[in-house]
Amino acid sequence: MADRLLFAKEGRARYISHLDLMRTFQRAFARAKIPIKHTEGFHPHPFVSIALPLSVGYGSRCEILEFGLLEGTGREEVPARLNAALPEGITVRECYPAARPIKELAFVDYEAVFDYPDGLTPKAEEALRAILSRESVLVRKKSKKAKTGWTEVDIIPRIKSWQFSRRPGALVLEGVLAAQEPGLNPELIRAALCAECPDLAPDFASFCRREILDGEGKVFR
Amino acid sequence: MDRRLEKILLSVQKPARYTGGEYGAVVKSREQVDTRYAFCFPDTYEIGMSNLGMRILYGVINGMDGVWCERVFAPWGDMEEAMRREGLPLYGLESGDPIAGFDIIGFSLGYEMAYSNVLNMLDLAGIPLRSADRPELTPLVVAGGTCCYDPEPLAPFIDLFVLGEGEEVTPEYICLYRQARDEGWTKEEFLRAAAKIEGIYVPAFYEPVYKEDGTLAEMRVREGSGAPETVRKRIVEDFDHSYFPVKTIIPSTEIVHDRVMLELFRGCIRGCRFCQAGYTYRPVRNRDPKLLAEYGKAACEDSGYQEMTLSSLSSTDYPCLLELCDDLLDYCAPRDIGLSLPSLRADTFSMNLMERLQRVRKGGLTFAPEAGTQRLRDAINKNLREEDLLQSCRTAFSGGWNGVKLYFMLGLPTETDDDVRGIADLARKVYFAWKECTPNKARGVRITVSTSWFVPKAHTAFQWEAQITREEYQRRVDLLRDELKRDKSITYNWHDPETSWLEAVFSRGDRRLADVLEHAWRHGAKMDAWSEYFDLRRWTDALEACGLDGDFYAHRERPRDEVFPWCRVDTMVTPAFLWRERERCYESQTTPDCRTKCSGCGANRLLKGGVCDG
Ligand code: SF4
Repeated sequence: MADRLLFAKEGRARYISHLDLMRTFQRAFARAKIPIKHTEGFHPHPFVSIALPLSVGYGSRCEILEFGLLEGTGREEVPARLNAALPEGITVRECYPAARPIKELAFVDYEAVFDYPDGLTPKAEEALRAILSRESVLVRKKSKKAKTGWTEVDIIPRIKSWQFSRRPGALVLEGVLAAQEPGLNPELIRAALCAECPDLAPDFASFCRREILDGEGKVFR
Repeated sequence: MDRRLEKILLSVQKPARYTGGEYGAVVKSREQVDTRYAFCFPDTYEIGMSNLGMRILYGVINGMDGVWCERVFAPWGDMEEAMRREGLPLYGLESGDPIAGFDIIGFSLGYEMAYSNVLNMLDLAGIPLRSADRPELTPLVVAGGTCCYDPEPLAPFIDLFVLGEGEEVTPEYICLYRQARDEGWTKEEFLRAAAKIEGIYVPAFYEPVYKEDGTLAEMRVREGSGAPETVRKRIVEDFDHSYFPVKTIIPSTEIVHDRVMLELFRGCIRGCRFCQAGYTYRPVRNRDPKLLAEYGKAACEDSGYQEMTLSSLSSTDYPCLLELCDDLLDYCAPRDIGLSLPSLRADTFSMNLMERLQRVRKGGLTFAPEAGTQRLRDAINKNLREEDLLQSCRTAFSGGWNGVKLYFMLGLPTETDDDVRGIADLARKVYFAWKECTPNKARGVRITVSTSWFVPKAHTAFQWEAQITREEYQRRVDLLRDELKRDKSITYNWHDPETSWLEAVFSRGDRRLADVLEHAWRHGAKMDAWSEYFDLRRWTDALEACGLDGDFYAHRERPRDEVFPWCRVDTMVTPAFLWRERERCYESQTTPDCRTKCSGCGANRLLKGGVCDG
């Protein structure tokens, strides 16, 4: 049975790419002297796998890393020991045995903050509400598979719920989005806004994964 | 984080190299430090973070109370463009603060092709390029590293150069700077005091006087400056008590040398006549094997690295190598940590050692015979015998290795066409050695021959030599290519000649080249070590605009009594010794290594007892 870490990533650590993040954890386990299972094969290396990798630049409060704890370390010691060995901005919150398969992870709760330093927040909110209330919204998206390099996706069926709030100079969208098969990157909501109302393109958009949920909207671990 | 930076980071390649925040990065509180030091490496993060010297000085400076040293690298083009567009000045990776507000800006100069980045980084920081345009003490712009053995092409931009090893002299000048700042000295007052510290070359106190033909009449010491006639390089005498970065920064993104680097010793006993490092790092100083094993293990534990490399100029010359390898392997093998030696000498490459390394991981095999015939190897004092090389290859091939890289230089003094063809012969003999010894012929073999265009360097036996012309280099490349074209198992690569020519210009350049450098930079030169950016035209245009001839520096043989631009820099290896070595080259005479017999180069005078221990 695999073990899982639940970790948060913020600040400068958001810019570590997926591959680099795996390497960072492998080394952190070694630094913390926590022996973990290795892959088999010609070049065995410590096995770690991060579920639903985030885009570079996104923050998170809950990402899951799967690995196999070898005997000798209690799960309860893992977070503190790893945290002392990790770079700034990555915090392990929990270590626990995996109980449910990752495929039951159905939804992700994101917070997207759109900056409008020039007071366009109300207009942007209005426009976004209109977009998200439609039956279908097609957004162009880069695709490795498509011949043209682009494909179109309908974002609406992949959005479970949304709500808006405001901060000084910024519009905050809280949305529960499909996690996989296929998941929705909240960046596409920004892309939809920019495509429809170029004047309302936010000055800057930041994204944070706040929670992961199962099919019933309950917290997934 | 700065919002401008956050915005930029999403639009550039590999943003993690611009964020800092890695494990082991030193973060101090701004309120608790009085001196901020920007350690600038004029190349990318991946290259700079792989530099052991940088890690050593970072540790040394941050070990000082009240001083905070941060890292700064040259941003890649996309990042630079974005920074300029957003008005984001160059910042320290640890704090994110603009370095223009720092006390000391220190550049590490390892190769001439990084010079344009020095200017570009100063400009990105918003700091005036020329020392004369920075009348205040702060920020003080300093430079160290092997290029400083000929500091002249950068002289107008740098307030002071550090010659030799920086571990001890760096805290000395930082302390002097603090005193000067706190007591309100002028920059001139500070520089005069700094020039009295051994190892510090203040270029403003030396004035080049040229003859009509463009050579130097003298490097005049400025009257009343109190600067010494010559500046002696610094060394760390006791290598057992010098700082080693056991605990160091572990990048969160991949760098070039992503592993523990264990420095066994400084210096080199060999005396290859072309090698600047070999002469300038004299005399050799070994570290205790027990201490090294401790360092190596501790560094693995603290880093989590799965690879360790023994890094010194010629690691197989370390007197206790087998003992050390055994010690390290006892630790590494059960933990699957790979141990490698980057520089192997074929003649000491024993079966024994190879079997030891094989216990863990098989790296590629690399040898640098430098020249194709014994005659020429003797002439350059590369004490490597063909039979030893072949024997080492046989051993390796029998052990299952199936790839060898061989490095050579073309254009070495006294080289003839026979020597060039000798490279092909040697490569073929290596191939036959494989055929004879391999347990698995079906797998095939990869033999790679690489040649570079020899660049004569200051402070070597060849400092008087002319670099062969480009046409001649190309002719020799063609000759060798022709020789090797029928050998399917041998791949031939040759180094891009354009950068080697520019390197030859700058590595023995004088102060007039500073204008060339600035001109080239103003016309877009940067990242010249990268083919994506390098453009020779920019440099030939700049030379022309400044009325200078590059070939004067690259292709001119100097007479014995030439006054060199670096004549005020004293490595303690005497010019008389270097000249003697040059003469022995023309006689194809070798000189024994320092362990076999001292040849009286003069470097022993750097040691208290006056005797090198080899
Ligand atoms: S003084 Fe002698 S032993 Fe010492 S570095 Fe020079 S040649 Fe070698």
